[in-house]
Parts: sequence; C-alpha cells; structure tokens
Amino acid sequence: MSRRSDQRRPAVFRLDDPDVIVAPAGSETPRTERVVVTPDLDDPALPVPLPPARRRRGIAWGTLFWSAAGGLVSLGVGLAVTRLIEDLFARAEWLGWTAFGLAVLAALALLVVTAREVAGLARLSTIEALRERAAAAVLGDDRTGAESVASDLLALARRNPHLARPRKQLQEHLTDIIDGADLVRLAERELMAPLDAEAKRLVAAAAKRVSVVTAVSPRAAVDLLFVFVTALMLVRRLAELYGGRPGALGLFRLMRMVIAHLAVTGGMAAGDSLVQQVLGHGVAAKLSARLGEGVLNGLLTARLGLAAIDVTRPLPFDALPRPALTDLAGDLVRRTRDAET
Amino acid sequence: MSPSFTDLTEEARIAARALLEYGGHLVNPTVRLGVTGLARAGKTVFITALVHGLVRGGRFPVFEALATGRVAAARLEPQPDDAVPRFDYESHVRALTAERRWPESTRRISELRLQIEYQSRSGRERTLTVDIVDYPGEWLLDLPLLGMTYAQWSAETLRLSRNGPRAVLARDWHAHLAMLDAEAPEDEQAALTAARLFTDYLRACRGERFAMSLLPPGRFLMPGDLEGSPALTFAPLDLSHDAPAKRGTLAAMMERRFEAYKDVVVRPFFRDHFSRLDRQIVLVDALAAFNAGPAAVRDLEDALAAILDCFRTGRRSWLASIIRPRIDRILFAATKADHLHHTSHDRLERILARMAERAIARAEFTGATVDVVAMAAVRATREAMVRQGSERLPSIVGVPEAGQVAGGQTFDGHTETAIFPGDLPDDPNALFDPDSEAFRGLATASPGEVDYRFLRFRPPLLERDKAGVPALPHIRLDRALQFLLGDRLT
Repeated sequence: MSRRSDQRRPAVFRLDDPDVIVAPAGSETPRTERVVVTPDLDDPALPVPLPPARRRRGIAWGTLFWSAAGGLVSLGVGLAVTRLIEDLFARAEWLGWTAFGLAVLAALALLVVTAREVAGLARLSTIEALRERAAAAVLGDDRTGAESVASDLLALARRNPHLARPRKQLQEHLTDIIDGADLVRLAERELMAPLDAEAKRLVAAAAKRVSVVTAVSPRAAVDLLFVFVTALMLVRRLAELYGGRPGALGLFRLMRMVIAHLAVTGGMAAGDSLVQQVLGHGVAAKLSARLGEGVLNGLLTARLGLAAIDVTRPLPFDALPRPALTDLAGDLVRRTRDAET
Repeated sequence: MSPSFTDLTEEARIAARALLEYGGHLVNPTVRLGVTGLARAGKTVFITALVHGLVRGGRFPVFEALATGRVAAARLEPQPDDAVPRFDYESHVRALTAERRWPESTRRISELRLQIEYQSRSGRERTLTVDIVDYPGEWLLDLPLLGMTYAQWSAETLRLSRNGPRAVLARDWHAHLAMLDAEAPEDEQAALTAARLFTDYLRACRGERFAMSLLPPGRFLMPGDLEGSPALTFAPLDLSHDAPAKRGTLAAMMERRFEAYKDVVVRPFFRDHFSRLDRQIVLVDALAAFNAGPAAVRDLEDALAAILDCFRTGRRSWLASIIRPRIDRILFAATKADHLHHTSHDRLERILARMAERAIARAEFTGATVDVVAMAAVRATREAMVRQGSERLPSIVGVPEAGQVAGGQTFDGHTETAIFPGDLPDDPNALFDPDSEAFRGLATASPGEVDYRFLRFRPPLLERDKAGVPALPHIRLDRALQFLLGDRLT
C-alpha cells in the first residue's frame, strides 16, 4: 500500500459546519486551523501570459553592420544640422533660434514615429506568437493555453467596435467547462468570422481594381505602380482589420512575410487554381491581350491578399474554412468575360 | 459463430427493412441515435438534457450548428414506431426542473423523434430527423448469448460467480445449486427457486457496494412484461459433461428455456432496434466502479468489451446503408463528470479510454470514428478550492441526496457540502493492476478507509432566463452533440 500512500484521501466538509469558512477568492482569510472553502467565481481572473522569451542567436554581423552604418549616418546628419544652426546663428540670431526650434520639433517627431514603429512591430510579433500558441493549444487540447489565447484575443479585438457582441458572447463562454481545442475553435468562430468576411471583401475589391486598371491603363509603368501601391494598401488594411496596425517598418516586415508565405504556399495553391488561372487567362487573352493581362494581375493580387490574410490573422484556420482563390476571383473571370461578350 | 440458418434469415429480414427505410431516408434524412449504458449511467438524464437543450436552445457553444445560429428550430414529432413506448420527455423534465429530483430510470426500450430544421452551410433549408432510441445496456450484454449454448453459458456464469467478491454474494444460490441434479426429472418448483436465487445474486452484485457490471441475462434484472414466464425461469446448472441432455430431465427443461429466452427476447431486440442504429453513445458510470473497488472496475471493463463486440461498426456508405446498416460513430461518455473537479476530467477520460481500448481499436479498424469524453448532461455541482491546513483540495460543492453516507455522516438532502472525492491517478494503468489491491473500495474496505468517494447529488437549483425557461447547466454535452450530430448538420 506504500505505493499509493502519497494519494490524498476523500474528504467531506459541510458548509453549515461552524468550523468551515466560506470565503470568496482573493479575500484574505486568517490562517487558522479551520477549513476554508473558496468557491470558484463565475468570472475567474485570467492570468496574463508573459510573452515568450526570444532566443539569442550569437552576433548578427549584418545587423551590426547596419547599426554601425546607421549610427555613422545619424552622426553625420547631427553634425550637419549643428553646423547649419551654428552658421545661421552667425548670420542672425533669430534665424538661429528658428532653426533650433525646427530641429527640436523634428527630433521630437522622429522620437514619436520611432516609438510607434516599435509598437507596431511588437504587435505584429504578438500576433505571430498568438497564432503559434493557438495552433499548439488546438493540437494539444490544452485548456490553460486556450484560455490565455482567448483572453489575449479578446484584448486584441477590444479596439474593434464591430466585435462588441461576439466579444461579449465569448467572454461568457470562457467560464464554461470547454476543452482547449474547442475553446480556440469557438473563439475563432465568434471573433474571426466577421473579420474574415470583411477581409475577403477587401481582397476581392483590390483584385477587381487591379484588373480593371491594368486592362485600361495606357502605359505599363502606370499599372506597375498601381499594382504595387494597391498591394501595399491591401496588406496594410488587412493587418489593421485583424488588429495589427503596423507602421511603415511593420508594413515592410509584413510585406516580406507575405511574399515569403506566398513562395511557400505557391506550390500548394497551384494545384487547385492553376488550371483555372490558365484557362481564365487563356480565354480572356484570346479576346484581348490587355484584358488577359488584367485578369492575370487581378488573380495575382487576390493570391497576394490570401497570403496576407494567412500572415495577419491572429488564429490559424481551423474551425472556419480558409478562403480560396475561387471564392474571391471567381467572379473576376466571369465578369471580364461578360464585359467582352 | 458459424452462420446458421436462423442467422441467415435474420440477416435477410434486417436487409429487407434497411432497404425499405433507405427509400424514406432519401426524402427525409434520418439519424437513429442509440443511447445506452448500464443501469444508473445516466441515460434518461442525458436524453432529457439533450432534447431540452435542442428544443429550448440551450447554451451549447461547441455545438457549431446551434451556436452559429444555423439551427432554426427543433421540435418533438410523434413517435414513429408503433410498438415501442415513447420516451416520456415531459415528465422527466418536470422531475428535473420542478421537483428537483432525478427522473425515473430506464427499464425498457423507448424512443423519441426530434426534428431539427436547419440551414446548411451553403444556405439551403433542410430538416434532419433524429430518432433517439433509449435502451438498457444490460440488454446488450445478452447479445453474446446468441452465440452460446446453454452448457457454455452455464459454465461461464458459474466460473464468474465463484471468483472474487461474487462468491460471497452467490453463497445461497450455490447451496441450492449443489442440491440440484441435472439428470433428475423436470421440476417446475426447483426451476423457480433456482431462478429466484440466481436473480437475487445478480441483484446483489449490482448494489452500490459492489457495483458489478457484467450480469447477463439482462432481463432477469429488468423483466418488464415477461416476468414469471418460462423464458425467464431458468438458471445455470452444474453440468458435468457436454453431451446433450436427455428428454424430460431438468437440464433439458433449462436448456429449452434458455433457447426460448434467446428467441423471444434477444433476437427481436437485435433485429428490430439494435441493428438499425446509425450513431451510438455509450454512457459509462465509471465513478460508481471507483467507489466499489478494483473488482468492479475490472468487471466494468469486461462488460464494456462485451457491449462493444455487439456493435456493427463501419464507415458510412450508400451500399452499406441499403444492405447492412452500420454504426459509423461511437462516443464513449464517462458521465457524472460534475462529481469531479475539472482538473481531473482529463484523467477520467484517459481511464475510460483505457477501459475501452480494445473495443476502440476494433471499431477504428472497421472505419468507424470513436471518441471519448468526460461529461455531465446535467451539472449538479459547483467547483471550489478547499484549504485545510497547508493542503489545497480541488473540490466540488453540491447537495448530496438524502440518505447518502460519507465521512461518518448521513445527509438529509438539504445541506450544501464540499467534497473532495480523492485523486484519480495520472496513469490509468495504475487502476488496472492485476493485483487486486490497486486501490480500496467499499466492497473490501470499511467506509473510512476507501480511496475514492463519489456521492450522488440532487439536481441543481436552476437559473431561469427572461422567459422563465430554466436552462440546464451541463459539462461538454455540446461536445458530445457536435460529435454525434454535427457532421449531419453541415
């Protein structure tokens, strides 16, 4: 019996027993010999999870180079500005003061912009980490992990007024006994479904715009520029939609991730949509070369948008279907054909 | 067992009926959901809570079709099978909500038809008919009898009754058995006494202290309208040889009645109800077995294996649904999960999965999907943390039923009590150790020394929503629904 001696024995406590104290959670109870019963409240305070520690990977020489070079350039700029101000003081005092004031303003603005950029980058990596944690919680059916994912998601969605009702509902379900994987799926269904619909609309609209502009633009350079700007705007708006709010640097990083993601998933996506693309392109190109180009550009934009959704969405696609190219660009081909006939 | 002529005709009748129903299901999709479990597992409460939740729109966040609002309405329809009693949903709900007591238990088969109006994911309006069939799990334990002769069954039953704690309970019956002579001329009085003592032994095995599960024939415990008929008046005999019994002897009479039991009771049940199921949920009250001790746990394991050998499982296909309907999803549910703190639910699930291991492997091999869940169809307790000195005990708070005894006190059915039921082991194998001292239960130890104590609680006081409709709290009933019906409501 020694094997099981560490096991705790069953015990019974009557709540009307004078030796039993019923105390709500969080209240300080005197350390007596008496028994304290703490009923679980309906809204337990959820622990705030710490962001995962980043691993150090030795000295990054590239970063070092850029930092050093950046430092030099800033020193140079600083020197130039100081010289300029000194020169201006030499010429007339009021000119010097004006220049000084302007320099201070510029420095202040730069500081704020930098802080925003840093915050934007931090948000992006939070979303990335959240997605990884959600995937892990679904895989391992981990209740605590799922709870922290759900509460983080709620915090992220707090700024979005369209999610007030879903947020409330999810909040209510948080206290029910639901398994980890199911909880993440529930959060996805509640919070992501309206956002997904909006994201789909954004991508489809961008794709349509690109295809039309390409078809009618007079010069290749114009539509090149237009496609680039539209893609940038699309990624930015998607990130904002899902709660990312990236700055310029964040957008740059996001764009890099989107393109990397596109490269990884391009092969897989080819299977389901290449035939359609080629067919659509072929048919449209037969009718008119410019129209075919427009359709192709539109499809590429849609695909870029899908990759951007994958990268900016804080949860992996599990309970809800991943939007497919046919959902978005299906009517692109149809519409262009209709326009031709 | 080799297919005999009777088996072939049975198969033909099943196939004919399936073909007939297939036509109807094309127009009106129907799922036959079998709900079974041994006595006191919570079948009636499960069905009541399920129907109540669907009809009244309960809190089922994980049941996707209902949570996303695709289910427009669910309502009860007239019961389709004329020869089967209707599940008395209304009075069970009244018992739960108004009188605050658990409903009467399942004594016989009953059925209820539910119609769910829903919109498919693509937006089409559809209806799904769910026929819920409630039957005692004890009847399932009869199905293996179909492949046994009387001599085999006698030997098997006697072997079981001479082992472990059963031997004590069977003492009276064994004494009477020793006086019987199989070769003696047939004697109605001897048969009656033997059957009565045998039934007493089965009933004693089922009591709370021992909580045995493997107790065929099932109708001895739930006779229904066959009570006193010759088909229920037989008992095992100590047969010394396998030779067929001579005409006119006691053994021949018993054998004839055993065969009659199979013909009158077991085969019609199999043909008319059991072979037509599409989905099955098996409710298991593992906690009662923990209360009683290791022998009860092993007995439950054997009973589960016997139950699962009866299911015809396999992937759903149109050909199969015409010729030989099969069960394509089985859910094992450890009921009364509200008697445990939720931190132990995973362990309970693991223990149940370990109990049904063999059966799950077999079902998955044939292509059926199997899942295990710890749930409570109606949650009767709250959770609490108890601090006693330096120890923190994850406990539950509820009102134990009147007459329950634990920790040296008897409950009156009104006092709220916090109970720490004991730690379930992290490794389920610890409970299934072949040495019978894996843990101490009521069957062998005194009430003060047991390792687990799970009390029966009264149904909860219900919150009512704005319309005055009480909402039944539950644990993971929505997950069970999602598994059993979710794919048919897409």
